[in-house]
Parts: sequence; structure tokens; C-alpha cells
Amino acid sequence: MEKWYEVPEKENSNVIYSRIRLVRNWKEYPFPGKMTGEQNEEMTRRLCEGLTGLGTPVYLNRMPELEKTALLERRAINRGISKKKEPSALILSEDERVGVALNGDDHIRIQILEKGLALTSCYEKADWTDDYIGERFEYSFDEKYGYLTPFPTNVGTGLRASVVVHLPMLSKKKNFNSLVADMGRFGTSVRGVYGEGGENFGSLYQISNQKTLGQTEKEIMDLVTKTAAELDAQERRLREEALKQRPLLRTDEAYKSYGVLKYARRLTRKDAMEFLSQIMAGAADGIFTLRKPCSVYGLMLGVLPANLLRQAKKPLSREELDVVRADFLRARLPEIN
Amino acid sequence: MLCEHCKMREATVKYVEVINGVKTEHNLCAACAGRVDIGQYSALFEGEFPLGKLLSGLLGIQNMDQSTVRLPNVACPTCGTTYEDFVTESKFGCPDCYSVFDPLIGENIKHLQGSERHVGKHPDHIGHAVSGEKETGEKTEEPQDALTEEEKIRLLNARLKDALRREDYEEAASLRDEIHKYKEERTQDGEVV
Repeated sequence: MEKWYEVPEKENSNVIYSRIRLVRNWKEYPFPGKMTGEQNEEMTRRLCEGLTGLGTPVYLNRMPELEKTALLERRAINRGISKKKEPSALILSEDERVGVALNGDDHIRIQILEKGLALTSCYEKADWTDDYIGERFEYSFDEKYGYLTPFPTNVGTGLRASVVVHLPMLSKKKNFNSLVADMGRFGTSVRGVYGEGGENFGSLYQISNQKTLGQTEKEIMDLVTKTAAELDAQERRLREEALKQRPLLRTDEAYKSYGVLKYARRLTRKDAMEFLSQIMAGAADGIFTLRKPCSVYGLMLGVLPANLLRQAKKPLSREELDVVRADFLRARLPEIN
Repeated sequence: MLCEHCKMREATVKYVEVINGVKTEHNLCAACAGRVDIGQYSALFEGEFPLGKLLSGLLGIQNMDQSTVRLPNVACPTCGTTYEDFVTESKFGCPDCYSVFDPLIGENIKHLQGSERHVGKHPDHIGHAVSGEKETGEKTEEPQDALTEEEKIRLLNARLKDALRREDYEEAASLRDEIHKYKEERTQDGEVV
């Protein structure tokens, strides 16, 4: 079955994917962190037993570390639950669109992922799942504060609506940081998705709502959608302009990146991400077309270490990992026109 | 720019100090910023930048001076979380913490969230079977009399959704008619007044 991230990107758009996350807590237990060992065990078991209608739960605390890191790379789980020693579980749909994490930072965390700008349809799925769970387990809810969670930053709707956009050119502009700061004033936050030490490999940026209380779900989603659409439009304008003014430079950049990925024998994560980012931009702008439908974002996920190690089925040195990464891309990158 | 302290790592923290009108600027990396004494902000730079800690700063710092002496004694009777725990971890222990600490942090939550009242989705539990219990006819009927019109409609809508999910179209149809009836009554009342 095709995973959500394997759906090819749309031409002429820089929006990569949308994500809805709802957090809920069961009234019968204190929040995670304040539960006893026994309560952790019991609650996770009861939630798992009560929610089999959503899928088969897998216990994360019994899962090999590498598998968990791979889930983390694909954003099926978050860092909080991946590090947790106490019993915790995940119900993940086969296409990985729908994930329900049990006993992580919250008792219940519903997440829906979808390619493109699709917050509304993600929310519909999340809402359905939320109702399904809410009918079986009574949530902690307060008339004033809404859905109660351990973190006051999530209280109210418990909703985090995010859209990931690809901004290779806009993010290189000098005023990008002030643009990001400005967006904070409107209630959205922007952060780099993949990177380390202040670098953002692949120029993917996530736009999310900052506030969860005092706005309806629709208002929150409208705000994030609007912001993402605006950033997408600005990036597109910049790239169109660049293609018009320096056509050779842009075209060369895109083809060169393709050439490297198609023929290189070793690639660091940073290089792979950066060149894939160029290919993403090249394909979106119609500089070339990929002959077979291909999700460039899917390839970006594919070159992350845990995924490569999983496929190799043996421990690899850093150098070997770079070789495996280059092999992976050579095998999967389609021909271009 | 390199950190002026260790001269090894990139400076990511800019600390501006103004003493008697004299402004001094320091550029430090996160690791050194944690060690160098920059007042109550030092705690923010230990290790990475966990949002939790940053948030404690925002939520707690205002009252820190007086409150560290006076307030740690406030604790949630249900889970034992103290106000001090909350200020350091930015995390509540259980649902009751919200009402226990509301007088202390309500204003801060309002600053943080820009609002103090939830307006979004409402759980449709009323009258629903809680896990393990069986749904009985009386159970759903009884509390309904005490509900306002709006709550009745919300409850009926929830049951309608549920019926649709189970593909029980007969029940769905009768629920739909009932909702219709309530809505009509409401508009009629409105017209009379």
C-alpha cells in the first residue's frame, strides 16, 4: 500500500505536506509523568484493548531502538514518546496517514498526515478518530480551559495544525528571519524540519499555530493555511523571477544536482538533502520533468540514517552509510526529460 | 561568530547587559551561556533549548522573587504537583491542577495563549457509555431533562454521527427528525419573542 509520503509532489507548488495533531487525556488517570508504574501499565493496556477497532496497537517500549528511530524520522511518533521507558503504544494505519500514540507526553495523541495543502481533510479524519476514542474513554475536559493536557501550551483545542513548505530561495533571503519573526506576531511559528546545529538541510520549513486556546479549530487551520499559502506564493514569485533573470544559473543548478545524485558513489545526509531540494525545486518549476511519478520528499525520508540502516540490516560505519545512501538514490531517482 | 567564552562553538545566544546606562554585549554558545552567570536566564540555556524551560521562565519569572518563598506550599491534592514543580517543569500533573493553580497562573496562561477561554470542539460524551459500561436506555434519557436546548441538540448530533458510523440508517433518520424538531421549536420560540 502506498504510504502518504510516497504520493508525488504537485507541480508548481512548494507545499509538501499537512499535519494535524490532537492531544487528549483520559479522565480516569493523572497525566503521564504523575502515573505510577502500575497505572502506566494498566492504562496503556486498557487503551490498547479498547481501541482495536482503529488498528493493531504496537508497544513502543518493546520495539527495537532502530525501528523507533525510523518511525521518528518519518514523523509517525514524536521524540517524547520515542524516549519513554514506561509502557506506550502506537496504532498506525498501513499507509501511515493516521497515527494514534498512547501514553506518550499525553494519554492520547492523534496525528494525521497528508501530502499537499490538506489541513481540512486531515482534520476531518482526526475529528472522526477523536469521536471514536471519546465515545469509549471519557476525556479530561474543562468548560473554561477545554481539553486538559499536561502542557498549558496545548490546552484548549489540543490542536497543532502544521504545513511543511519548501522554501529554498526565500529562506536564503536576508530578510527571511524578520519575516519569520513577523509571522510570530500573527500567531504562527516557523521552524526548520531536518537539520542539526542550526542548519536546515533541504530547506523544509514547518508552519504551525502557536496558540491552542480561544480559537476554534477552523480559525486555527485557516490561519496556518493562509500563512503557508502566502509563503508558497512568495517562494514561487522569487523562483519565477530567478528563472526569468538568470535562466542558465537556475537550470544548471537543477541539472547539476540531478547529475550528482544520479552518479555519486557516496553522499552525506546534508548533500543528499540539499541536492534533493534542488531537484524538488527544478521539478516544481518545470525545468525538467521526472519520467516516472516520484515523491522527492519520500526520497528525503529515505536517505535519513535509521531508514538506510534498517534496509541494510546490519550496522554500518559513517562512510558505509554514505555509500548505501548514494546506492539508494541511484536506484530510485527516475530518468528526466 | 564564535562564542567569546570558549572560542570553539558558534555563538547562538546574544546577551545584552545594561548596567547604569552602560550597554555591554556578549555573544555566547548555548553551552557557555548555561555556565556563565546571566542572572535568572541561565537556566534557559542548559543543554538545548527545551520549550518547557523557556516556558517556565515566561510563566514563573514574574512572581519568582516573592513567590519562591511563599508559594511552593501550594500543591494539588490529587496528584501532589506543587507550584514549584510547575514552574520548573511547565507541566501539570493531572486535570485537577488546572483549578488548583488557576488563581496563580490563570493570567499567565492568558498572556501565553492570548485567551482564557476555550471556544472550539466540545466532547460529545453526555449520555455515552464510558468504556466497560453498557449503554442503557434510561441512562441517556435521564440527564436530558436537565440539559439546555443547545446541549440536547449537540447530544443528538453526536448520536447521529455515531449511528452513521455504525451504518444504522434507521436510527440516524429518526435522530435527524428529532434534531429537526428541536431546531424548529427553537426558531418558533424565537419568533414569538
